[in-house]
Amino acid sequence: MKGFLRRLSVRLAAGLVMTAVVATFTFFLIHALPGNPGDAAYEQFVMQGMAPEQARAKVAVIYGFTSHESLFQQYTSYMGQLLRGNLGVSISYSGVPVSHVIASAAPWTILPVLTGLLVSFLVGVTAGVVAAVRRSSRWGGLLSLSGSLMAGVPSFVLALLLAFLFHTLWGLLPFGDTSDVTLTPGLNAAYIGSVATHAVLPVATYALLSYGGWLLSMKSSVVSALGDDFILAAELRGITPATRMRYIGRNAVLPLFTVLALSFGFMFGGSVIIEHIFDYPGLGSLLLQSIGSRDYPLMGGAFLLITVAIVLANILAETLYSVIDPRVRR
Amino acid sequence: MTVTATTPAAAVPARPRTGRRAPWASALRVLVRKPGRIVGLAILVFFALMGVFGPYLYPGDLAVDPEAIYAPPSAQHWLGTDFAGSDVLQELVVGARYVLLTAAVAALATVVIGTTVGLVAGYHRGLADSALMRATDFVLTIPGLPLLIVLSTLWSFGQPLQMGLVLGVTGWGGVARAVRSQTLSLRERGFLEAARGLGLPTRHVIVRELLPNIAPFVAMNLLLAVIQFIGAEVALFFLGVVPFSSSNWGVMLNQAVFSGGVMNSPEALTYLLAPLVCILLITLGIVLFLDAIDELFNPRLRERS
Amino acid sequence: MTETLQTPAATEDRSAEVSVRDLTVVYRTDRGELPAVSRAGIELRAGEITGLVGESGSGKSTLALSLLNAVPAPGRIASGSVEVAGVGDVTKLEGKRLRRVRGGALGYVFQASQNSLNPLKTVGKQLLDLGRSHEVEDLQGLVRRARELAERMGLDADRVLDSYQHELSGGMRQRVGIVLALVLNARVLILDEPTTALDMISQAAVLDIVRAVHRENNLATLIVTHDMGVVSEVADRLAVMYGGRIVEHGPALEVLQRPSHPYTRALIGATARIVGDTTRARALPGRPPDLTTLATTGCVFRDRCPLASAVCEEEDPALVEWTPGRYRACHADPTGDRP
Repeated sequence: MKGFLRRLSVRLAAGLVMTAVVATFTFFLIHALPGNPGDAAYEQFVMQGMAPEQARAKVAVIYGFTSHESLFQQYTSYMGQLLRGNLGVSISYSGVPVSHVIASAAPWTILPVLTGLLVSFLVGVTAGVVAAVRRSSRWGGLLSLSGSLMAGVPSFVLALLLAFLFHTLWGLLPFGDTSDVTLTPGLNAAYIGSVATHAVLPVATYALLSYGGWLLSMKSSVVSALGDDFILAAELRGITPATRMRYIGRNAVLPLFTVLALSFGFMFGGSVIIEHIFDYPGLGSLLLQSIGSRDYPLMGGAFLLITVAIVLANILAETLYSVIDPRVRR
Repeated sequence: MTVTATTPAAAVPARPRTGRRAPWASALRVLVRKPGRIVGLAILVFFALMGVFGPYLYPGDLAVDPEAIYAPPSAQHWLGTDFAGSDVLQELVVGARYVLLTAAVAALATVVIGTTVGLVAGYHRGLADSALMRATDFVLTIPGLPLLIVLSTLWSFGQPLQMGLVLGVTGWGGVARAVRSQTLSLRERGFLEAARGLGLPTRHVIVRELLPNIAPFVAMNLLLAVIQFIGAEVALFFLGVVPFSSSNWGVMLNQAVFSGGVMNSPEALTYLLAPLVCILLITLGIVLFLDAIDELFNPRLRERS
Repeated sequence: MTETLQTPAATEDRSAEVSVRDLTVVYRTDRGELPAVSRAGIELRAGEITGLVGESGSGKSTLALSLLNAVPAPGRIASGSVEVAGVGDVTKLEGKRLRRVRGGALGYVFQASQNSLNPLKTVGKQLLDLGRSHEVEDLQGLVRRARELAERMGLDADRVLDSYQHELSGGMRQRVGIVLALVLNARVLILDEPTTALDMISQAAVLDIVRAVHRENNLATLIVTHDMGVVSEVADRLAVMYGGRIVEHGPALEVLQRPSHPYTRALIGATARIVGDTTRARALPGRPPDLTTLATTGCVFRDRCPLASAVCEEEDPALVEWTPGRYRACHADPTGDRP
């Protein structure tokens, strides 16, 4: 338990370092943007007739630093604000703190991504086992091919095809936004049902997107577990096929925890496209929208949060792995 | 008796049927073993030809025909027309060059950077390894598409070469990690120690001994990277964050979905589906062809199937 | 190949637990089916330890696996039979009946360097899995028996049953393997390279244990090894394999003292002992054959044989009784001098 906590804290520290690196990167990125947004905003405020002091204060509120400080001072105050959870103030959502804007968008990304991940994990891992056991048959080959294809197809291709087929052509599912706009949000059946049906297509896209990865990694993992000595040993001891399958399954699933983190990052990255296509108000949409409106604090915040989510997912995956594998446990 | 017959090499009796076949002959054998692999290769060759010669088939600018907007497929316009009455097939063929050239540049950049980093890290280990792997982790953690979108605000990289390089420079993490683990597994097999024990210089060991052994693996990653980058570049145009510098599939999709309203009317069906089907086909072609490279790389698979 | 084949000691002893007759195992390859074991015959009797010796690739492990009808995938038993007392011909069994024989009547112990235990489950849980697979009703009795066996082998039973594989040393894993092989009261114990990858002390300990449990349970034991030293220490009978054939077979002491096959002689000559004159140890010239380089006509050993003559090129020597109880497959003079 002690060792577990120590490793966990090491991982958290590494994650923190990673976050700091990304934050630094974001800071300098915003600084390198054409026309230094801080300066641009400052000049704009002055031209609007604001006193220089007042304008400087307003810029400081928006960006967390003032453009007249040295770069290093700007950097330290930016990081200091960040530590207090202050990501600055959004420009396009006039005056709303970026953290609030992001907090209201985050669930619309996290919930569909997690649901999609769960569905694709269950389906992909099962299919992977079948593809491994039946790898020399025609069906096994086709299953593997489906996995490779799905792992390769770009997210927008999937999203557009699904939307076109199920909405435009067959009219089976709604499309666009999180629910029917005529309904009032709340805990009533009509609203929840509408949210659920609107979520089907995005979730299905997320699921299909990572299905191939699960299938392929589970397949190769199972194939290698099938050749493990202890599986042959179990067979020679007369262990039932069902029990042997459980041995194989549990041993084969373990290495997939490294895929989990990658998959999570992949889906968060893909959220930009998927949310844009399905007009879903999540973090990806927010990022794209902030770029359209040159809302740099919002852009930095959204980018940072997407990255932090991936870092956290990595830590979670590693921790889960060490809980499940007795060789790493203790 | 001729002189050559007395050389030491000839004096060693050749063991029958165990000699190595010529690499090309063996590659060909692997390729024709399953029909799917030939289909895959054919698809890739077809698109490569389209990328190289496509633009010459349609010299001059896109013809605009305001009389035939969103026309259905006909003898004159095989795949119908778009919002401006331009021929979809022509756009598709002309746009292929941009898409494929960019993906090729990006894949090449990724493989060069990734292979170098992976080889050096795996070969030297120690400090160089840790430093390079931290950098790799960083590149892998930063989500690719959001980063590209953010970068697009910094400078516009619409030209194929620029776009390809930006994609390549941001996307080499996976290849580096994979090449490193391959190098480490070669090292584990005592392979490197043997080469170094012979007193071969580092560069020789890396270039002559390691590289050929991971070459098919690198080739696999190259092809996988092509799919990945086609997706990324088309996505950037599709999202509209990169200025439309030339006609390509991403621009077509953007126009179809966000200007053509294709999601609410099936009118522009072919305009939407044409680029999608092309991307699907290329993915299929690469996946089918990879199967052959996989077998070349991993001969154990041969005995199993 | 039309010569009549004789099976050694076919009806000599009534207490034969396993008798293998005329067994041929083939592997499917690019060049058709190639034999890994050719027309082998061997008998395992209660109270007797048989050593099966050969270089890697000689087919000894394949032969051992075919006793459980468990030849791995591209291979199959092409002909012959494996009669197990109280069970019948194992090569004819399949499905549940075959599964119950494995572990039930025949206990198989993996080489110590191999991981024969599920790394994610404790030994105790795997013992219960074994019991359930064989529909043991008295699981507590099973655990009790396992404890006895473990304690008998000098293991701390409580600790071991509660351990994962990675918490056990090579020698301990080996002993756990023997416990699991015998816990269902198997009459036959098959050990695959029991001493490989163990240090000298553990080797001696494992061999002591094998000898002890063998005697106490009146088992029929087969030890598959490439190590002549192991065989000379524990085996009562000795079978030597080369190129998929049993080339010599007889009482261990006699075979070791007066080898009658040039390969056996070379094998003994190649074994370096800790005590004794290491300068007398000599390597066998040439390389052991694999499936693809194996001669298809004539004697399989002729390329490396110091006594090879014209007849060896044409005729595959049959395994025939030479002196009572001793069998050899060689055209040359059995007392042939070393070259």
